[in-house]
Amino acid sequence: MQLSLVGLSHKTAPVEIRERLAFDDQEISQALRSLIQYEDVSEALILSTCNRVEIVVDTLGQDEVQQFLCDYHNVSHRSINEYLYTLDNQAAIKHLFRVASSLDSMVVGEPQILGQVKEAYRVAANAGTVGGNIGSLMNRVFAVAKKVRTETGIANSAVSVGYAAVELARKIFGDLSGKSVMIIGASKMGELAAKHLQSAGVSMIMVTNRTFERAVELARSFEGAAIQFDHLYDHLAQSDIVISSTGSPSFVIEKRNAEQLIRRRKNKPIFLIDIAVPRDIDPAVNDIDNLFLYDIDDLQQVVDENLQERMKEAARAEQIVDSEVRSFCLKLEARGVVPTIRQLRETLETLRVEELSRHKKQLATMDESQLEAVDRITKALISKILHEPIAHLKEKTHRPDGSDYRALVKKLFNVKDE
Amino acid sequence: MHVVLLRVALALYSVGLLHSVLTVLNRKYSLFRLSLIAIVAGFLCHATSIVLRAVELQYMPLTQRYEAFSFFAALGVLGFLIAYAKYRIESLSLFVFPLIFIITFIANLSYDPSKSIPTSLQSNWIYIHTPLIFLGYAALFISFAGAIMYLMQEHALKKKHRSSSFHRLPSLEVCDDLSYKSLAIGFPLITLGLTSGALWAQSAWGSLWGGDLKILFSLFTWLIYLLLINYRLIGGWRGKKAAYLGIAGFTSVLISFFGANYFGELHIFTQ
Repeated sequence: MQLSLVGLSHKTAPVEIRERLAFDDQEISQALRSLIQYEDVSEALILSTCNRVEIVVDTLGQDEVQQFLCDYHNVSHRSINEYLYTLDNQAAIKHLFRVASSLDSMVVGEPQILGQVKEAYRVAANAGTVGGNIGSLMNRVFAVAKKVRTETGIANSAVSVGYAAVELARKIFGDLSGKSVMIIGASKMGELAAKHLQSAGVSMIMVTNRTFERAVELARSFEGAAIQFDHLYDHLAQSDIVISSTGSPSFVIEKRNAEQLIRRRKNKPIFLIDIAVPRDIDPAVNDIDNLFLYDIDDLQQVVDENLQERMKEAARAEQIVDSEVRSFCLKLEARGVVPTIRQLRETLETLRVEELSRHKKQLATMDESQLEAVDRITKALISKILHEPIAHLKEKTHRPDGSDYRALVKKLFNVKDE
Repeated sequence: MHVVLLRVALALYSVGLLHSVLTVLNRKYSLFRLSLIAIVAGFLCHATSIVLRAVELQYMPLTQRYEAFSFFAALGVLGFLIAYAKYRIESLSLFVFPLIFIITFIANLSYDPSKSIPTSLQSNWIYIHTPLIFLGYAALFISFAGAIMYLMQEHALKKKHRSSSFHRLPSLEVCDDLSYKSLAIGFPLITLGLTSGALWAQSAWGSLWGGDLKILFSLFTWLIYLLLINYRLIGGWRGKKAAYLGIAGFTSVLISFFGANYFGELHIFTQ
């Protein structure tokens, strides 16, 4: 297997270049089939997402792959050369392991990339452009990605404000099913946080806004209820989680409102998320028992802490990837030499048997013990002849010229591939 | 033999505790199974130890400190296992096992091989009063652990210091629920235990409590829990306030339990 990988990612190219060189779903199969037409290409795989394009080929020079990319998208090589990276063999394998494990993603630990890589493999398999080499490599890629996700914490905690809100809500309420959310005002972030909460199992979403029509609109997107702004305090007691993001210059919830609220809720805990600037909820409210108030800075701090932890976990993930790359490459090399040795022995054994049968007439005059002796001598002779070549094969197998050596030995002894 | 088994149980509990510390610290909860195996194995040895002593004595093994402490520790482990079966809180082991370890350790040290039973304890009431009290205490111990976990988690959430405890402790709701439910089990048990104790005292000493200091203290403990039950049920107390009172209550339990022999003259275990 001689892998070549040519690609570009959010790390090396801006979005304008990435979109020029991307392959959309319909194009990929066709592109793969074009690649296969090249003389030395036996397998090919293309991964194309909004953040990267990767082309993996078994046995084609990097230059040819780059040229293919340029020709296919009708761009000149000069114009995109600085944005591309080229890797082969062990480096390409390591890159694939890292990409699938989300270590090369914009947000380390993101969950989409593995699915995208699996899809790319499925498409290539359907197009008939993956075989034993890339096939077994990709299987290992998926296994390592899974291992990284389960054995490290890179995908563990929330790294966006919306998910952070869900994480905190879970720590307060445990199970979120049956809980209700009240959205006061309208903002993108508030809506996003509420969406995350809804996916996490929250059952009831209420929306209120000074402009009732806006509330109705937003409520519809959640299949929730719209509340008149005047009736806010009546319904607040039913909400377990409140997301506030109005444009109001003054507090929407004052301390006395909050005290009343907690009394009406009979001390059931309530989680207030204040993402408005200027803040909607009096910070003093956090002093009240069973009430938890987080403003936008607090949520961002949660995210920052989680990101730091993720980076630590990413370092561990890199170690796992490194060791997996090493063992995969070792296995690859070993696979090369064992069949060669076997084929070598078989070829010479066949020769021996043929030669013996050719001299059947002369051997017919011998008795049992003499025939045995002939057999033993011929076997020993072959063994001795092969001893040095095999020792050298085994020794050379881990060196970069190992495969050349194997090819040469096969040629010398006229070993036919099966 | 039963002493040997108790020592084996102690060793297994240590292994379980050590392993769960590592598991919780590293948040690799899939490894907790090993701790669980060690704990369950320890519990089986522990239970066998108690049964063997009972057979040896031909009596309820609650007549000397060795037996009392061993019995209480075993019930503590049982309480943990039941709580784990329902709530699956791995970190609970960190709060429960240190005390269980200490009590089992003291039990080991206090072994008195004599099989004689003090006359004051020779009564069928021992099969009713003492187990009820101990079961109640074990349940209240779990409630106490839940209260502590609640306070730690609440502090982390309020002060927004998401220290190491934040990720490893369960949600406030689960801590509060654990605390409340085990209280609801423990309180009736100690009520029955104290009542049966009073009846026993009446038949043995002719008075309901005999002016004994330890019994007075146990009554005081019971009052704290009565207040707690009342506040939770009617006063709408939850979370922090309930947790503080629960901790006060169990501190009182510990004082009564450990101070058993130093307090009064009547309600003592050994000669």
